[in-house]
Amino acid sequence: MDKPPPHHESISSRWSFSSKDKEVTFADLGSKRIRHGSAGADSEMLSMSQKEIRDEDARLIYINDPDRTNETFDFTGNSIKTAKYSVFTFLPRNLFEQFHRVAYVYFLVIAVLNQLPQLAVFGRGASIMPLAFVLLVSAIKDAYEDFRRHRSDRVENNRLALVFEDNEFKEKQWKYIRVGEVIKVVSNQTLPCDMVLLATSDPTGVVYVQTTNLDGESNLKTRYAKQETLQKATDLETFDGFIKCEKPNRNIYGFQANMEIDGRRLSLGPSNIILRGCELKNTEWALGVVVYAGSETKAMLNNSGAPSKRSRLETRMNLEIILLSLFLIALCTTAAATAAVWLRTHRDDLDTILFYRRKDYSVRPEGKNHNYYGWGWEIFFTFFMAVIVYQIMIPISLYISMELVRIGQAYFMTRDDLMYDESSNSSFQCRALNINEDLGQIKYLFSDKTGTLTDNKMEFQCACIGGVDYSGREPAEIDGVTLKPKMRVRVDPSLLQLTRNNKATEEAKRANEFFLSLAACNTIVPIVTNTSDPNVKLVDYQGESPDEQALVYAAAAYGFLLIERTSGHIVINVRGEMQRFNVLGLHEFDSDRKRMSVILGCPDTSVKLFVKGADSSMFSVMDEESYGDVIEATKKQLHAYSSDGLRTLVVGMRKLNDTEFEQWHASFEAASTALIGRAGLLRKVAGNIETKLRIVGATAIEDKLQRGVPEAIESLRIAGIKVWVLTGDKQETAISIGFSSRLLTRNMRQIVINSNSLDSCRRSLEEANASVASDDEESVALIIDGTSLIYVLDNDLEDVLFQVACKSSAVLCCRVAPFQKAGIVALVKNRTSDMTLAIGDGANDVSMIQMADVGVGISGQEGRQAVMASDFAMGQFRFLVPLLLVHGHWNYQRMGYMILYNFYRNAVFVLILFWYVLFTCYTLTTAITEWSSVLYSVVYTSFPTIVIGILDKNLGRRILLSHPQLYGVGQRAEGYSTTLFWYTMFDTVWQSAAIFFIPLFAYWGSTIDTSSLGDLWTIAAVVVVNLHLAMDVIRWNWIAHAAIWGSIVAACICVVVIDVIPTLPGYWAIFQVAKTWMFWFCLLAIVVTALLPRFAIKFLVEYYRPSDVRIAREVEKLRSFSESQQNMGTEMNQIRDPPRR
Amino acid sequence: MSSNTASSSAGSGDSSAARKNSKRPKYSKFTQQELPACKPILTPGWVISTFLIVSVIFIPLGVISLFASQDVVEIVDRYDNDCIPAPARTNKVAFIQGAAPKSCNRTLTVTKRMKQPIYVYYQLENFYQNHRRYVKSRSDSQLRSPKFENQISACKPEDDAGGKPIVPCGLIAWSLFNDTYTLSRNNTPLAVNKKGIAWKSDKEHKFGNKVFPKNFQKGNLTGGATLNPDIPLSEQEDLIVWMRTAALPTFRKLYGKIETDLENGDTIQVTLQNNYNTYSFSGKKKLVLSTTSWLGGKNDFLGIAYLTVGGICFFLALAFTIMYLVKPRRLGDPSYLSWNRNPGGGR
Repeated sequence: MDKPPPHHESISSRWSFSSKDKEVTFADLGSKRIRHGSAGADSEMLSMSQKEIRDEDARLIYINDPDRTNETFDFTGNSIKTAKYSVFTFLPRNLFEQFHRVAYVYFLVIAVLNQLPQLAVFGRGASIMPLAFVLLVSAIKDAYEDFRRHRSDRVENNRLALVFEDNEFKEKQWKYIRVGEVIKVVSNQTLPCDMVLLATSDPTGVVYVQTTNLDGESNLKTRYAKQETLQKATDLETFDGFIKCEKPNRNIYGFQANMEIDGRRLSLGPSNIILRGCELKNTEWALGVVVYAGSETKAMLNNSGAPSKRSRLETRMNLEIILLSLFLIALCTTAAATAAVWLRTHRDDLDTILFYRRKDYSVRPEGKNHNYYGWGWEIFFTFFMAVIVYQIMIPISLYISMELVRIGQAYFMTRDDLMYDESSNSSFQCRALNINEDLGQIKYLFSDKTGTLTDNKMEFQCACIGGVDYSGREPAEIDGVTLKPKMRVRVDPSLLQLTRNNKATEEAKRANEFFLSLAACNTIVPIVTNTSDPNVKLVDYQGESPDEQALVYAAAAYGFLLIERTSGHIVINVRGEMQRFNVLGLHEFDSDRKRMSVILGCPDTSVKLFVKGADSSMFSVMDEESYGDVIEATKKQLHAYSSDGLRTLVVGMRKLNDTEFEQWHASFEAASTALIGRAGLLRKVAGNIETKLRIVGATAIEDKLQRGVPEAIESLRIAGIKVWVLTGDKQETAISIGFSSRLLTRNMRQIVINSNSLDSCRRSLEEANASVASDDEESVALIIDGTSLIYVLDNDLEDVLFQVACKSSAVLCCRVAPFQKAGIVALVKNRTSDMTLAIGDGANDVSMIQMADVGVGISGQEGRQAVMASDFAMGQFRFLVPLLLVHGHWNYQRMGYMILYNFYRNAVFVLILFWYVLFTCYTLTTAITEWSSVLYSVVYTSFPTIVIGILDKNLGRRILLSHPQLYGVGQRAEGYSTTLFWYTMFDTVWQSAAIFFIPLFAYWGSTIDTSSLGDLWTIAAVVVVNLHLAMDVIRWNWIAHAAIWGSIVAACICVVVIDVIPTLPGYWAIFQVAKTWMFWFCLLAIVVTALLPRFAIKFLVEYYRPSDVRIAREVEKLRSFSESQQNMGTEMNQIRDPPRR
Repeated sequence: MSSNTASSSAGSGDSSAARKNSKRPKYSKFTQQELPACKPILTPGWVISTFLIVSVIFIPLGVISLFASQDVVEIVDRYDNDCIPAPARTNKVAFIQGAAPKSCNRTLTVTKRMKQPIYVYYQLENFYQNHRRYVKSRSDSQLRSPKFENQISACKPEDDAGGKPIVPCGLIAWSLFNDTYTLSRNNTPLAVNKKGIAWKSDKEHKFGNKVFPKNFQKGNLTGGATLNPDIPLSEQEDLIVWMRTAALPTFRKLYGKIETDLENGDTIQVTLQNNYNTYSFSGKKKLVLSTTSWLGGKNDFLGIAYLTVGGICFFLALAFTIMYLVKPRRLGDPSYLSWNRNPGGGR
């Protein structure tokens, strides 16, 4: 068992101990992170020291003995392979993966059916060509991508690391590193694998790592080597021990293991492991033993692709696909039944009918049936032949076109200048490629606050010292110091004056104390970096909480510059004078106490306790008797701060006398070496000492709104999107942010639900519901806090809340825990069919982002988990406006039209084929050549719809942004609906009839041959279908022209090419038929007749029942834009960015 | 889908590498989707003039089509029923398959002057030359070159006779039409030119001049005409015409051309051999003498269709004009926007 460590070190380093055993390294004042897989520090402690890792769940690593480690278990080596294929496996694996798509399986089944001799409709080549083409294109694309992955794998695997072998550190390529080996990493090196720390250059065993590659956070994190291994690691040869750790998993915040050395067992936690991909910083070197390598490292296990979601439009489309399948079955049944009837009525004559002749006399004199198996079988065969001939009724190529279109749309979204964020140098990212069009139908928006609406760049704004407010906002310069903080803070001149005067007034003393506590009471690590000017060095403060960073920068601005932090002491430059403070104890922040404290041994040998925390938790531990008036004044001031939307913290302190200190020291010692419930004991120790504090002051930090947020929220609201803000902040802060972001307005009635019990919660909700139901004129804002939400989400109140929320124009949820965020999204998602979008930036938003139909991640300050879980990622909240109102609108319109058009264009062709069957004795002859049938949906008509699907814009960007109401088109699903589907299908029947029957009657009883008529039908169909598209194109740029006219020309060229092959029956037919006037007369009559009804109805509808889009287009076209802006009579908002170029 | 993600991100990665530091998308009118474009909208003016233009084009075209059709003189004589002796009409199939003489005389009267060339057609009705089983039963490579004589797999059940390939094989060739017509005008023989009735392209490239009929109609069941084995297929124009299978079940095939004018009142005597069996599927046989116009044969459909469409367009143009005058709508009038029609609705 773990024994207390030997007490032979100096007192300061003994105290430093406390930080070493801390389990909690990710807690921060903002408390915005979720811990994966554990309920809290306490249970983690317990489970770690008490629960044995079961043998079957464990892996054993013998330190510095890779041979023994690897002989018992089959651990993976450290070479990574992100590439999917090798040269030999490429063909089978790639084919296998491609056939996961239903579309390809459909193609394949049809192609296989066609190979049966009885069903052979198309020739071999023609039936396999489209499938082969698509497979080939995808395979080439996959091969290229895989080649790139191979290349990057090779680079990664051949990097070098120092590995301890034969009693010295030798360079070894990453791919040869094995589990169990001891590796030395030096400063700024990237870690090759996950390893448990054994020793570091720091005598206390601290290392700093940067985890940017892992979770995107640029702050340094501290990790610790176990005290027991620090000494032993100097002599690695004799190092004998093993680690028993859990199986590889993807939780980057959790690690559970035991280490046994010299018969002693130590427990290891997440703070003892450093992970692959991290970089070592501020530490000369670190020694570690490899526990997970290669693909088993946490970094690689987390390397998963984008989430897969299905777009609403695609789901809706499935209904119509089923309808089309029913049509297909109906057509095939008709063909089969009529064929059967004909065979039945002519059953006695089949031998003599010249064009049938059932018997083959070459086999036997009396003849044997040739290719005739009785009329029952004939029904069967005819049916399946019909399926083959009419296969494109199910527009399978649509799925492929949709993918291409989405790639194109994604290309334009990522390239959009309006969605490029200069400050983080990030452009828009499309991570999920299959829900582009959902962006056009959003009805509910759930937004995180910190980091999403706000910058999460905390700025120190005001201080309240001894009840006096200092909130002057004059900028000031600090000159003449060689050490400069990296970030400037605006300072209050009177306060600065006060601290500089050095007068021993009570006020000045308090101010000094205040800033000293700000500089000291934190976990910030200062990093001194050189600048181009050798006399000036910059101090960069790295820490896990942005609030603390802001406070330390503020202290620096007032002359209290934190310069150095080791585990034993801190050095603060107090107005040019270096002062060294011993850190005797540190109670880290935890979410129960909501405060942190530090015990400092000051230069004047006094021992002081500094405490900093949330106001609610601080006032209860203040000495109210002595400082009641100050506390009252501070409370008042704090209320004012939070009404301004500022985040507040309260600072307190106490001088400790010797007995107090000794007492605390003893219990702290005991607690920090306890094996069971260490975190709980430490919390208790902290609780005991953090009492009777003297109030020093309060701080107010501004969490600045991001640029353009109020305007963005307003235009989203005008667009009919309900905006819900979910935040962990206090109610007052949340409401004030609500006002400053224009989510709330002064004329809104606020309904605040802030209950502590189920009953009161129910009562206030029902009251709210009644009041909302009674008058619908007034706009209402619902504000609900996390405690009430617990009752709501756990009970049957969800419906009531939903009803109230639906009628409110804004909903604000404060004090919300991460898991509640997902619960709220689910609450809405389960009760309505409207689309939901969640936007957030932190790990606590991940659940919400994944729950919503569309998840958007802000790639900002708080790491990359949100981005990794999101479907779309961008730099700023305000980009939502162009994303939804412009791109979402476009994508939805494009995709909706494209689906309808693809249904139409395939159905027209199928119907032409079907009509002909009625004139071929119900056999599935096609006048159109088989090659044209195959090429029709691939070459003749596919290109324009893809181009239009990517490029067409029903309205310009300017008008969409200036009239957010136009977004309603998508919310009301006007771009694609079953009604539109039926209209399209009626039109399809008419057009196919026009194409088919005009030539039929014109050529009835003439010498026309099958091939010529087939060519006429082919060309007529291609022209009509493309002109139909042309009629609906809104923006004719050169690409649209090229695609549409080019496609007609390409079709004609293909028809000609097919007809110059002498071995095909249709040889030269197109030339024969095209030189007759009849051909051209038919073509002209077909085109006009087919498109006439559509043209007339389109005009009538657009003119007499204009949609919003149509009106807006007229406005746009007639260039009365500025004039109409005034006429619109609605609020205009200029959210457009000023043109950058 | 994941592969797509990779490709698109890879794409942006490439270009960003070129610009090193900034990931700002390179600006172009194309990437910002601001390419210059024409954006036509359907205004009443455009629509009404479109309809007017269509009607102005279509009505004259309809008229000239009708005139062209009216100019065509055609004589049609259905003989399949009449050319069976009355007693045999109860079982026509037995008669046509039997050995009885099948000669038959028909008399046609010219009712209007016919200018040469006058085309002689036979018209078959209810004969499905487009039957799937039938159209596939041919070997185009065999027809072109003697090298491919054995490519007969598609020709079943008329592929070989006694193990030797049939040239030309297949049901189409087997069922070659074999009624013959001998024409005389006012008791003087009238020459019917049977040369040049097939497409030149077929004679030159599709039917080989070195391919001679072999084993043709030697099977157990004789379908239609026999071919002279000494004449190459490229010269067998009746076969070439027949092998251009008709698109529709009622069709004409060119039999020959009369290269003299026929006068009004002329009587044409036709001596025909009624050999072809259309009786088992109640098909009709007709002899047709017809002139042609620039638009083809006698068919009023297209003219009527053009007049109808032209008329409808004219009517629509008129109707839209009236509607426009009676109930106009100002284009781009924001009061029609849904959120302005019912105030507060869009908010």
